[in-house]
Amino acid sequence: MRLSLPWNRRRREGELDEELRAHFRMAVDERVSRGESYDAATYAVRREFGNVGVVKEVTREMWGGGSLERLMQDLRYGARTLRRSRGFTLVAGLTLAVGIGATTAVFTVVHGVLLRPLPYPEPNRLVLLSYQPKNTPWVSAPGIADRTWVEFRRGTRAFAHVAASSAQLVTLTGAGDPVRLQGAAVTADFFATLGIAPARGRSFSVDEETAGRNGVVLLGSALWRERFGSDPGVVGRTITLDGVGHTVLGVLPEGFAYPYEAQLWRPLELRLAPNLYLMLSVIGRMRDGVTREQAVADVASVAGGAERSAGGERETSVAEILPLKDTVVGDVGRSLLVFAGAVGLVLLIACANAANLLLMRATSRHREIAVRAALGAGRRRLVRQLVTESVLLWVVAGAIGAAVSVAGVRGLLALAPAGRIPRHGEIGVDVVALVFALGVSLVTGVVFGLVPAVRATRTPLRASLAATPRGISSRDGGVRGALVVAEIALALVLLAGAGLLTQSFLRMRHLELGFQSTGLATMTVDLPATGYASTSAMQTFHARMLDRLRHTPGVESAAAINFSPLGSALVRGDFKLDGGRTPPRDYLVAKPSVSPEYFRTMGIRLLRGREFTERDDAASPGVVIVSRSVADRVWPGMNALGQRVSMKDRPGPGDWLTVVGVVDDIAQRGLDGKRDPAIYQPYAQLAQPFFLEHMTFVVRAADRPEMLLGVMRQALREVDRSQPVGSIGTMDATIAMTVAEPLFQARLIGVFSALALLLAGIGIYGVVAYSVAERTHEIGIRVALGAAGGDIVRLVVRRVLMLVVPGVGLGIVGALAVTRVLATFLFGVKPNDPATFAGVAAVLAAVAFLAGLVPARRASRVDPLVALRAGA
Amino acid sequence: MPKDERGLTRIELLQGTLDLIILQTLRWGPRHGYGLAQMIRANSREALRVDTGSLYPALHRLEKSGAIAADWEMSENRQRVRVYRLTAAGRKQLAAERSRWEQLSEAIAGILAPPLPESDT
Repeated sequence: MRLSLPWNRRRREGELDEELRAHFRMAVDERVSRGESYDAATYAVRREFGNVGVVKEVTREMWGGGSLERLMQDLRYGARTLRRSRGFTLVAGLTLAVGIGATTAVFTVVHGVLLRPLPYPEPNRLVLLSYQPKNTPWVSAPGIADRTWVEFRRGTRAFAHVAASSAQLVTLTGAGDPVRLQGAAVTADFFATLGIAPARGRSFSVDEETAGRNGVVLLGSALWRERFGSDPGVVGRTITLDGVGHTVLGVLPEGFAYPYEAQLWRPLELRLAPNLYLMLSVIGRMRDGVTREQAVADVASVAGGAERSAGGERETSVAEILPLKDTVVGDVGRSLLVFAGAVGLVLLIACANAANLLLMRATSRHREIAVRAALGAGRRRLVRQLVTESVLLWVVAGAIGAAVSVAGVRGLLALAPAGRIPRHGEIGVDVVALVFALGVSLVTGVVFGLVPAVRATRTPLRASLAATPRGISSRDGGVRGALVVAEIALALVLLAGAGLLTQSFLRMRHLELGFQSTGLATMTVDLPATGYASTSAMQTFHARMLDRLRHTPGVESAAAINFSPLGSALVRGDFKLDGGRTPPRDYLVAKPSVSPEYFRTMGIRLLRGREFTERDDAASPGVVIVSRSVADRVWPGMNALGQRVSMKDRPGPGDWLTVVGVVDDIAQRGLDGKRDPAIYQPYAQLAQPFFLEHMTFVVRAADRPEMLLGVMRQALREVDRSQPVGSIGTMDATIAMTVAEPLFQARLIGVFSALALLLAGIGIYGVVAYSVAERTHEIGIRVALGAAGGDIVRLVVRRVLMLVVPGVGLGIVGALAVTRVLATFLFGVKPNDPATFAGVAAVLAAVAFLAGLVPARRASRVDPLVALRAGA
Repeated sequence: MPKDERGLTRIELLQGTLDLIILQTLRWGPRHGYGLAQMIRANSREALRVDTGSLYPALHRLEKSGAIAADWEMSENRQRVRVYRLTAAGRKQLAAERSRWEQLSEAIAGILAPPLPESDT
């Protein structure tokens, strides 16, 4: 086998040039010697010679060589032809770049969040453990009770390491402004379980889990950078957390923020209290060779044994093991998969458009292809060449798309509600994403390039070599029409999805919450146990705050609540009834504690009885206010006022609280349309500091609540300047945050469907314009025979209808099948909402007619004389 | 190489014939491409005109298969030209193609001149 190297090839190219030039010169010389003028001879020889480029092309093909060489040859040829038809390359290339770029961007995020393994060694062996009763409203997350955990850690055999964690908010002072940070309390084995070590310093030891020795902390690298200027000397230094000095043991590696997107980590100190179970989140690293079943059995036997020996009152606990990644990813996975599906549709539409352009261009290349076939190029060779050309187009577009996707990913993450995309620190366009873009380009390039290539090389030779190739066969028109019909159908599916999500978002946005959100401003303050040890100290702080806020100009009223609606935390629980009655089984109510004037400030309607007043304090009899659904459920047909309830498991005589009022139900947890039952207590009657640490001040503004935020901060500084503001904002902004994710979904799918609409419009325009150009002759005859402009427009409109009707029909069928996956994201609108479907079908039809209008107008102005001459 | 279905038998026949013509013409000595074309034209009494788009692919193909070899030489008007000559393998191929061509033309002649009594129209 002869080895053909690139430079060898270049030499041969040069030689071929020279050989043909010599031929040309000799032919001219001979004619001149026969007496022709030089110019005439040159002209004649050039005619004889034919297309020099094609001659070279077919000669080069004879050199053969390896398949790689032929590929290079095809690529060169493809690059030449693409460069020659700039307009086509630009339109098709941009269309594809948009499609591939968007797909790569979404893939990058999906890959970063869902597909990429966790950045810890042997991540498959990392699991989340759970041992707790199943299917009761008590359970919100996988976990193990603290006491059981202690025994489990001692007794497990299936796990090499186990570690527990719980979230905690921590106030950092003395390093810039006071700041409230997300922290995590973790056991000593936590980092060993994950398989990571601090970038600097060391992690916790077991004896640092005990009180008195646990004044230590590990910093996240972002916190270390922002608050300590990346000073390596911080290790060993003491920093102030919640007013107490903590020694910095080390700094964790860049990007590490597990769990809860934590910025600092402290040892988890277990304080086992009687009659109180604290659920811990427990992770474990399975031993080598341990199967899932063995691990589950281990949890069941060890944790179960511990609970049984402790009294076994927790009836039906179930052992479970979940891959750690599931919990890191959370429920964003479904949302991301919907985006992936949507962007896939955009890609298909873009590819269909490009294939359509290829088909149309194939018409104008019929002669070129026919000549090459006549010169002995086999059909397979021609097809391969055309496919290579389209793959080249796709890959170049893919490269541009990949570049665009870098910005796309950034945009996507910026558009996403803050903190809602897990692992966002790990997301970026990387080698995997680039390989994906290349793979998508290659596959779609081959698939969508094949049909036009096969079609283009099918026409019989003689027909093509006849002087004027009169367009392409009607069968090609059929393929192009089918592609556009598919585009319309796909666009409709996307539009339907976008329409449904938008409707759902709007309904959520205008939901009746049960309180007057407009005009409210809130500020949360978390008091550390260290500075405010007693309930009275806390209540004094709160009273001073309220007093100051009430006397601020522009404030109509001010109140406080420990767990505010739509806030970060909510306490729910059961209660006891007086008189031997029991409340409904598994009936949980929200249990907020509020200051006087809370209901008036919030705009919650008082239905019966009275509000809390300043007189409802620790010294006076206990009272509660229940929400309407509690009254209806617990005392149906009775007067709730005067009834007695208790929050204690075994109420003593002094533990009974009298219902003094009934208020409207409000949305406590979020904008899911549900109103939660609640039993309110006056905050002055609370005895446990835990329920007072976290307090939200609510202010009703006379005018604009956002103008009050500054004076609210000022009030806090004046009352206690060492306390940071936990979160502050208007209630409307908080609500906007709650609907941020639906808004993000609606926006993103909206962007995709706008792209789809645009691309489908281009596709329709192309096909209609082409069929008008193809029929200029016929239209000319019709006009000559007296057809009016309106008749011609009707003719074109019929063509558009032939695309739109089947496209919309198919699209509706497809959308009905596909929008069902959106059901879980929808609020107040059904996935097959007829109004939405009708609306998007109308939008699509309007765009289709708009796209057909330009060619239609052109057709109606056809000059019969010009048209007939052109067709002759 | 074309190994394809429809419409190509014609071309393949043509190619085979062109190969035969080239090899036969080169028997009279080395020639450059232009010279070959001229000679084929002259020898066929202007009946056969080989266009460059067929001639050069055929020459390069034959060169690749080893039937002919090429060298660069100076022409009479001091121009570098690529001159083709027959190789030993080419001579063998020529003999084979000749005999095949003769069989073919005999067969066709037999068909065109059937020994049948005929009535002229």
